[in-house]
Amino acid sequence: MNAGSAQAWRTVAHFAADPLPADWRDQLAHRLGRRPRRVGLWTELAMFGARQCLDAAREAALPAGARLRVSSLRGAWGATHAGLAQLDAGMLMPFTFMQGQPALMLAEVGRCLGWQGDASFALSRDPQQLLQLAKLGAASAGLLVGVVEEERNGEKPRSEWWRLVPA
Amino acid sequence: MSGKSVYLAGMGLACALGNDLPSAVAVLARGGVRPVPVAVSDGVQWPVHRLPPQEGDWKQRLERVVRRVAAQAEPEGTAAARSGALFVASSSLDIGGMEYTAQDLRLGGDLQDFAGLVAAALDWQGPVFTISTACTSALNAVLAACDLIRSDQADEALVIGAELGNRFTVAGFGAMQLLSPDGARPFGAGRNGLVLGEAVAALRLGSRAARWRIAGGANVVEGRNPSGTEASAVLAMCHQALAQSGLRPQDIGLVKVQAAGSPLNDAIEAMALKQVFDPLPPLVSLKSAIGHTLGASGAAELALLIGCIESGVWPPAGYAIDDELGIALSTQAPAGLRHILLNVVGFGGGHASLVLEDGR
Repeated sequence: MNAGSAQAWRTVAHFAADPLPADWRDQLAHRLGRRPRRVGLWTELAMFGARQCLDAAREAALPAGARLRVSSLRGAWGATHAGLAQLDAGMLMPFTFMQGQPALMLAEVGRCLGWQGDASFALSRDPQQLLQLAKLGAASAGLLVGVVEEERNGEKPRSEWWRLVPA
Repeated sequence: MSGKSVYLAGMGLACALGNDLPSAVAVLARGGVRPVPVAVSDGVQWPVHRLPPQEGDWKQRLERVVRRVAAQAEPEGTAAARSGALFVASSSLDIGGMEYTAQDLRLGGDLQDFAGLVAAALDWQGPVFTISTACTSALNAVLAACDLIRSDQADEALVIGAELGNRFTVAGFGAMQLLSPDGARPFGAGRNGLVLGEAVAALRLGSRAARWRIAGGANVVEGRNPSGTEASAVLAMCHQALAQSGLRPQDIGLVKVQAAGSPLNDAIEAMALKQVFDPLPPLVSLKSAIGHTLGASGAAELALLIGCIESGVWPPAGYAIDDELGIALSTQAPAGLRHILLNVVGFGGGHASLVLEDGR
């Protein structure tokens, strides 16, 4: 059964890391019981926000039938910038390359939510169109939707998440 | 799947085999092409299935190839509407263009810029989405387009899968020790890695009945093994795609496999497929012909496979298959083919399947 375009939705939890706590990485490590390894800043920000949102929704794990949708205009900006510089120097490092990939972020977020399922990284200039697209065809287990941005040129970092279920 | 049916209304392809689908199928029938070396740093180069050489800078080449493949996907004699949804699926996006940009001017834009370039090349008037989930990008774009059409939010959608030449991706995959130094041999004896490929493919999807129907599909991300194939996720994606299509394993007449030539991942995929299917249906692989085209691969391999089936051409393996896997690649198109399962597995733990139904 899926929730079609006429379906009303209910926000079970909303989390915005604003301002981002100074010790957010320690909080994430404490919550996961491990410190994330070999992941970049952007992925860690996504993991922190997603986990906090699910905790706010009082869910230990994302239900198997739920969708995970993440959006970001800047993406893993720092890792990509570093990777291009490494390429210029003739020595692109494997973990720098991996940290620039949105797919790796999805994998790590899914892992920290104890979840295997339909995850995607999608973008549009119109956030409402993107949210509407995420809802179309979503199952009754609903959605976990996030917008994650690294800090860049004075723009604040952002990790904002919504847990949505059909009303 | 519930709601309206979604059909493949048109398709286009530019890949190492040729700048259009008929040319690519014809070149494949004549034995295909060899990958060419791409240097990523002093003394380091890897074979890549590159697009045929073209004039112009990176952006001009992008615009030209996108217009060409989109035109191939249009209905004969008419220009398709530009007001539906456009899905741009890519793993590397515009990183190739950045390689030619001064360091301090790089990354000044954002991740939607590439889709903006594609949309501008097509004078697109409708909503524009980027889907970037590494190798599963194009299949995820097709699944999203299907959601839109099935729910009556659009009559048509265009998926452009695009993976254009860049040293960054080649160097990255090389650094991860995933590349073959000589050639890709999916499921092959002595396989030693994958070979990357460039491709741009267009899939026009719509609700008007056509020969090929998208019967169902599934996307499963499994984070436990982010750089490889996970058997449980292969099983999940196949079972979910079959369930969405209302089919049983024995209804599938052909599986387009992911196999890219990785010693371990190919073996895991073969093992998982044998758990889903008993007996295994005929298998076909296209990556030795066009390389692994990453974010474009779902669209590029779908277009090439359908082009082969409709033209009566079959992709030859051209190398010995690994006996230990207990599988074989089909040497001819299966007779009475009705349902095809297309599998794509990728970087980041993405596993995606699509079921196509031949209505002829």
